[in-house]
Amino acid sequence: MSFDEIGKVFLILLKYLLPTLKVFGMTLLFSIPLGMIVALLKMCKVKPVSWLMNIYIMIMRGTPLMLQVIIAYFAIPMLMQNAATPAWLNSLLSGVDIKGDAYMFRSVLVAFSLNYAAYFAEIFRGGIESIPKGQYEASACLGFSRTQTFFRIILPQVFKRVLPASTNEIITLVKDTSLANVVAYAEITMKAKQQMQLYSSLTPLVLAGVMYFVLAMVLSLLSSFIEKKLSYYK
Amino acid sequence: MAMLEVKNLCKRFGDLEVLKDISFNVEQGNVIAIIGPSGSGKSTLLRCINQLERADGGTVKVCGMDMLEQKDGKAVYASAKTLQQIRLKIGLVFQNFNLFPHFTVLRNITEAPVHVLKQNRADAEKTAMQLLEKMGLGTKANAYPCELSGGQQQRVSIARALALKPEILFFDEPTSALDPELTGEILKVIKSLAKEGMTMVIVTHEMAFARDVADHVIFMEKGLIVEEGAPSQLFGENATERTKQFLQRFSEG
Ligand SMILES: Nc1ncnc2c1ncn2[C@@H]1O[C@H](COP(=O)(O)OP(=O)(O)OP(=O)(O)O)[C@@H](O)[C@H]1O
Ligand SMILES: [Mg+2]
Repeated sequence: MSFDEIGKVFLILLKYLLPTLKVFGMTLLFSIPLGMIVALLKMCKVKPVSWLMNIYIMIMRGTPLMLQVIIAYFAIPMLMQNAATPAWLNSLLSGVDIKGDAYMFRSVLVAFSLNYAAYFAEIFRGGIESIPKGQYEASACLGFSRTQTFFRIILPQVFKRVLPASTNEIITLVKDTSLANVVAYAEITMKAKQQMQLYSSLTPLVLAGVMYFVLAMVLSLLSSFIEKKLSYYK
Repeated sequence: MAMLEVKNLCKRFGDLEVLKDISFNVEQGNVIAIIGPSGSGKSTLLRCINQLERADGGTVKVCGMDMLEQKDGKAVYASAKTLQQIRLKIGLVFQNFNLFPHFTVLRNITEAPVHVLKQNRADAEKTAMQLLEKMGLGTKANAYPCELSGGQQQRVSIARALALKPEILFFDEPTSALDPELTGEILKVIKSLAKEGMTMVIVTHEMAFARDVADHVIFMEKGLIVEEGAPSQLFGENATERTKQFLQRFSEG
């Protein structure tokens, strides 16, 4: 490939960085709060709730994300075609537009968010459980409500403790966004594959690799920066 | 006036009866020392009064408010609102301080006055600074707990409890986590609080200190009060055999 061609391919891939970042950013936006909720529900004293969360986490972690993306994408169309689907569900589903790019993005986002929430939930649960009981007891004696204790005393400390493990997860997510191409969601990996075929060259794939690498580096630097900022206490 | 009235207090962990029928009163301005062997239930007693454990029976009255009552043979706690009021009337100082590591010393002290008592921050900080001066920590307001010695951390935690202006202050072995050379500074602080008339209940293994500062000493064993009275009684010749035995083993180390 000539320099000109490489430049052209690079610009195309750069354009598709946006959909990649969209999956990445939106997945974080949903999976982190959802993960926190799942973590709290898993620690809940009502046993069935805790079991349910356990099963959810086990399924999400025990099956491939790619499979989950495919299922999320095809579940609704398949149900709509199936004669056995009850009428109420059918009428509910008929409102969903299953053609557009928006649907594609949403199904990818659902699969990613549910999957990553499970991983974050386990990290957050570990973080919350690692906070000494004395912090809760001191808070209670000072008259803090349970909500105040959680948000003012526990959560800031949990944040610091889960940062390294969460960074790992977040960096994995950047790379996992490439799995969205399995349902033809147009992002970097998908475009790089097309360009590879167009030019019969591996260079587009290498370029895509460089982009992921740079993203991962930026995230890892960002995380070390925050970790340093938080190192004022132990 | 009795600031604290505990009657027939019982607490069980499964089959283990940790407190069996504990009764005692604390008058305003009194300093009570609780001594006794490990596992006798001293911490559990303080934790029940401070609502960190649920008692199984008995009555507890704090500053005239019923916290735990006995109704139809069942232990009944007061409403959440009353329990919160009672909570703010008493403070507890822990053996291992339990400071909030992510807050500065100042913020450790002001957080509850600001967010629980809804004081404005400037007032809370003024009070906190006064307390820190009193504890000899005026220069440490902006330090983080991890930057302080154990003795300094314990003084911060005492200031934190005092910031809510409690009527009674409880201490659970406030010097046990400290190096011997640091225990003195904490005992000094407690002594000066006693001089100011602070009502205090102190679980301690520092017998000389208990003898020196307490108005009343309670000796507990196996969930029961074995003997109680003036320090001169418990530490004197007329103490019961069991008390003498305990104190003797203690002085042997
Ligand atoms: N949460 C708990 N669950 C079960 N047993 C407990 C619990 N807390 C305390 N115990 C038991 O209750 C008994 C009394 O404990 P407690 O901590 O009150 O003793 P203590 O007098 O404070 O002893 P020490 O001098 O060692 O601090 C012990 O046998 C202890 O094992
Ligand atoms: Mg104890």
